Amino acid sequence: MCTDLDIHADRDLTEATIALTINGQPCKGFPNEPILQCARRHEIYIPTLCEMDDIDHTPGTCRVCVVDILQEGRKKHQTVTSCNTPVRDGMVVDTKSRKVRDMQRLQVELLMADHLQDCATCVRHGDCELQDLAQFVGLTENRFFDRERTLAREVDCSSPALIRDMQRCVRCQRCVAVCRYHQKVDALVMEGTGIDRFVALRNGSDQLNSICVNCGQCVLVCPTGALGERDEVERALDYICDPETVTVMQFAPAVRVAFGEEFGMKAGSNVEGHIISAARKIGVDVVLDTNFAADVVIMEEGTELLGRLKEGRRPTFTSCCPAWINYAEIHFPDILPLLSSTKSPQQVLSRIAKTYLPEKMGVDPSKMRVISIMPCIAKKDEATRPQLQIEDGVPETDVVLTTREFARMLRREGINLPDLEPSSFDDPYMSEYSGAGAIFGTTGGVMEAAVRTIYAVVNGKELENVELEQLRGFEGVRSATVDLGGPVGEVKVAMVHGLGDTRALVEAVRSGEADFDFIEVMACPGGCVDGGGSLRSKKAYLPLALARRETIYNVDRKSNVRQSHKNEQVQALYRDFLGEPNGGKAHELLHTSYTDRRREMEHTVKEIWDDLKMSTIVY
Amino acid sequence: MTQVVYGVWDGVVQDGQEGSAPLPELKNFEQFDDGNDIRAFFGDRGFFVFDEKVSLVDALFHYMNKAAEQSCGACTPCRMGTVLVRDALDKMRRGLDADLDFDEIEMLGEQMRETSLCGLGRTCAVSLLDVLHNFREKIEAEVADHRPIRAQHGMAYMTAPCIEACPSKVNVPRYIDYIRDGKPESSLGVLLQKYPMAATCGRVCVRYCEMACQRKFVDEAVGIKTLKRFVADQQKGPNALKFTRDMIQRPLDDSMKVAVIGAGPAGISCAYHLLLHGYKVDVFEKADQAGGMAQIGIPSYRLPKDTLAMETDIIVDLGGRFLFGQTLGQDFSIDDLFRQGYKAVFLGLGCQQGTPLGIEGEEIARDGYHSGIDFLLKVHDHVDEIAPLNLKGEVVVVGGGNVAMDCVRSAIRLGADNVHVIYRRTREDMPADHEEIVAADDEDIFFHTLCNPTRLITENGKVTGVELVRMEQTEPDESGRRNVRAIPGSEFTMPCDHFIAAIGQKVEDGHVMEGDGIALDKWQCVKAGDGLSTSRPGVFAGGDCVTGPSTLIYAMAAGLKAARSIDDWIQLGTPRFFKRSRMRDLINDNKFLGRDVNEPPVRNAYRVHNPELDPDLRKKMFGEVEQTISEAAAYKESQRCMRCYRIYSVVTRQSIPEGAA
Repeated sequence: MCTDLDIHADRDLTEATIALTINGQPCKGFPNEPILQCARRHEIYIPTLCEMDDIDHTPGTCRVCVVDILQEGRKKHQTVTSCNTPVRDGMVVDTKSRKVRDMQRLQVELLMADHLQDCATCVRHGDCELQDLAQFVGLTENRFFDRERTLAREVDCSSPALIRDMQRCVRCQRCVAVCRYHQKVDALVMEGTGIDRFVALRNGSDQLNSICVNCGQCVLVCPTGALGERDEVERALDYICDPETVTVMQFAPAVRVAFGEEFGMKAGSNVEGHIISAARKIGVDVVLDTNFAADVVIMEEGTELLGRLKEGRRPTFTSCCPAWINYAEIHFPDILPLLSSTKSPQQVLSRIAKTYLPEKMGVDPSKMRVISIMPCIAKKDEATRPQLQIEDGVPETDVVLTTREFARMLRREGINLPDLEPSSFDDPYMSEYSGAGAIFGTTGGVMEAAVRTIYAVVNGKELENVELEQLRGFEGVRSATVDLGGPVGEVKVAMVHGLGDTRALVEAVRSGEADFDFIEVMACPGGCVDGGGSLRSKKAYLPLALARRETIYNVDRKSNVRQSHKNEQVQALYRDFLGEPNGGKAHELLHTSYTDRRREMEHTVKEIWDDLKMSTIVY
Repeated sequence: MTQVVYGVWDGVVQDGQEGSAPLPELKNFEQFDDGNDIRAFFGDRGFFVFDEKVSLVDALFHYMNKAAEQSCGACTPCRMGTVLVRDALDKMRRGLDADLDFDEIEMLGEQMRETSLCGLGRTCAVSLLDVLHNFREKIEAEVADHRPIRAQHGMAYMTAPCIEACPSKVNVPRYIDYIRDGKPESSLGVLLQKYPMAATCGRVCVRYCEMACQRKFVDEAVGIKTLKRFVADQQKGPNALKFTRDMIQRPLDDSMKVAVIGAGPAGISCAYHLLLHGYKVDVFEKADQAGGMAQIGIPSYRLPKDTLAMETDIIVDLGGRFLFGQTLGQDFSIDDLFRQGYKAVFLGLGCQQGTPLGIEGEEIARDGYHSGIDFLLKVHDHVDEIAPLNLKGEVVVVGGGNVAMDCVRSAIRLGADNVHVIYRRTREDMPADHEEIVAADDEDIFFHTLCNPTRLITENGKVTGVELVRMEQTEPDESGRRNVRAIPGSEFTMPCDHFIAAIGQKVEDGHVMEGDGIALDKWQCVKAGDGLSTSRPGVFAGGDCVTGPSTLIYAMAAGLKAARSIDDWIQLGTPRFFKRSRMRDLINDNKFLGRDVNEPPVRNAYRVHNPELDPDLRKKMFGEVEQTISEAAAYKESQRCMRCYRIYSVVTRQSIPEGAA
């Protein structure tokens, strides 16, 4: 992961040698430190919008954080943006003079001039940094708003996953920064000039045909409702309310540890029991756990990996993460043969829920509808993949809701999560899970789960210590050598999270520099606990990663069964239905294929010039 | 002199009253073009009105319209402010009720000036505010009766110090913006509007733009050349930009053909722009490859041959034709060309003959004596594997320019035991690029400054040594310049196996052209007037053969200028008025494009540098020394540009004639 979670920690305060005053208070700044940082260290508040400290983003574009400065030896005051103006010795800073307050307020009013203000219908209603900002600066009028101009801006609904609403964009460029510098997908560009400037997809494409992989990290940093998932709450409710269908709901390993915050519970609370109760309350017929499918994935992927190791095919990449699959297909199609063919846990669960489960329950499989709750935007996209349709018009997964949509759905049903009495899974076929399945939600988890099972398969006995500390760091790329014993012996494994580091690792694999047998990839920094579909945090990027991760490990510790192959429901599934892992039936139902989706990026000078004419003159 | 009726400049108000402070003396302000008076001028530091009847509302509307059109849209105050103010002024000038009153316009103007991100936003409201603060009653009077204001003539022009410094007037901040925006292909598109050789320029340009870059007052100039090379080098492989014939907007019929003589940077640039104007172009070149001095004069460790070839090939992509092995005066004459139906001829012959030192022994030296340019030609043939060249022993190069540096750095690569550079002034006085001097130093070249050759020692025509004399600096003269003089009796000799005189070049066989009716000047360069026309109608010239040895970018700029002149000459028989050039003269003659000394503090961020091969490795080979920067480095460097754009506008009595495209 490329994001340094706490870039300002541990700075030696004796190096803060620049003496200045802010609002009359003597302050010490580091050389070249922006006024804003210095003010924050001294607990002086300055309103901001585009700036985002966690991703080191100070583009200086919104111009809201203006302050008045008087430099030593000068007579004339200056108005500067505190986010990117450095402190100087003897500088006198005023963050709240009348003039500064007026200018901050006018700036926000100008931002509002072409920002669609139908707040009540916006997904960020009540959770919007721009709304907050308007309050902070005391905005009371809105003289410049031009509705017609605003409505002329693009809303890109081409994708089944991510919606880009330029009518609500404030051009802070956080999305561009996280995509370019952190994920290094670099799918976004700034297009146009002046009033027509907006964030666009590279190559002039729409979302659907772009090089974007739907990791959704841009959504997590967006201050407004400009970026978000396709809202499918209504469709989910249709299924739930339809008495003719049997609705199955599954939720991902990470959801239970990254959901309570929305309802005021402590960050990292495990709300599995609350979610089960909530699902039942809104009328879901069968509540299942994606963790169960994670255990099945381990059986399949582990078997597949052993087979590939025997054939000398290496490395094998994991295939659970749909944004990673998109990334490989669009950016590095030549490595597709290295990807495990095992479907993701979401799809495995859905497929079994539409075959094995109706058989066991004695219902018509065509009545089954699967709704999955995921901390992920790319999962929506995955559900629509042609490879993952049972037949025309019958998808394996019917609706994917992000954690955020699930929260909205509960609010629509009048549910306040903490008020519910937690309950447990009760499905006798597909809800039990091992600790191995639970840790799928965090970086290194799939690898650790796989090693626990593969070790047992190879050696006929369990690992002595199942908590593999050497796999548990938080660095962007981690590697380890694991002795699987028996004929397999030592294998070299690597775990990478965040696409920035993934790119580097993939390139190393392609060039032959990296030497691994098995590589786990999670596209989102931190893994699914901070997925692009998880709850948003205002003015912060991944602030809760470690708390959520810790809770996931605790779920594992508290599990009676800690290896996928020891999950009794999984054993029953193979015994009663699938047969051998990666055998005929299992392979047919639970494995998939990938396609080269490289995008054409060819331009002619003529095209470029036609585009330039709109924004520049030929000198 | 033009009389200012009222105005404000740098905060100094001139209101025509007795005792009001004097404004700077204005030069070249009488007329914009022939018979067309300048009635008012608006700029980044204020405005001048020369005619009491000028409408401020209309003038400021046009000024703000330019700002809104050119605003990049990154920051809030400029993006919205320019549009809101422009629209209000537009309604006022049309006699309609505006959405904003003057108080609100003033508020937005202050917001733009005080809080905008770049030079454009921070200066585009200055003249507006000067009017509102000092001449409010005048502007209010204009709109008092709500009647439409008669439209005024004039033009607005946006520029920046780097643009003005560039001979080709490349829109530097714009191409850096495009990198920042994530669109390197558009960035290259901006460069290609001026010349086809961006990757070449990104390697060898002497960077007038960087010398003018205002960022140097914060820390260091923006790495403009480094970024240019980055965007040009992105265009390799399957996703390279394609040059297609539809770039030519209006193809002309086959009889409209022009001959370009010399396939160097001036000729290539001229051919490129003529092709884009729709002409058929044949390029006559005496060598068997295109590139001219860029091809033979710049060693491949600075400019790989394939990089250059890729760019000269653009001429062929656009339908141009190279005729190699064609020497003017031997294979054809200018008369021949006109007889063959060429409508015009461009001479881009370069300066390809070395200047001798004029010292004793020079004329009898046969073996081991080279002029700088001859030596580089041999180096080129070596690299191209036409004629291998191995040097042994001591190599002495005389001169302090880039050609001298190219010679010493090539000599060390060819296996010379020791390579010496002899220069009569100090190292600081050397005209070569600083980076070239440093690189030569890193490659263990011996520098002997304040030293001058007096005699070449030969045995049977073979160079064996050189006699040198030490020099000393004289006291500074009136202009502060220190000259040098020889120290009598300080002569010494230095053994020498190869002696290279790299002190200058001149046009080769100039007399041939004189026979064709082309006049030369006293330096034996081609005499060319404004618009680069020569003494013979229909013949134009540019580049080194006009200016004497100069730079790639000057040659390419001359090619563009000549192409415009040729187009004008063929289509109209006379050069068109070029209004942007006129605007530039106005700005430069009056030194308006000054530095704003009251800039707020900027965080230091030092520039990125091209990665370089290790000196010990590179001095043994001709592979390229400098490498392209990474994408991450390019994004970082592009953030350093401060966009010092400024807008200037004039109001004129009559309409300004439209210039060449």
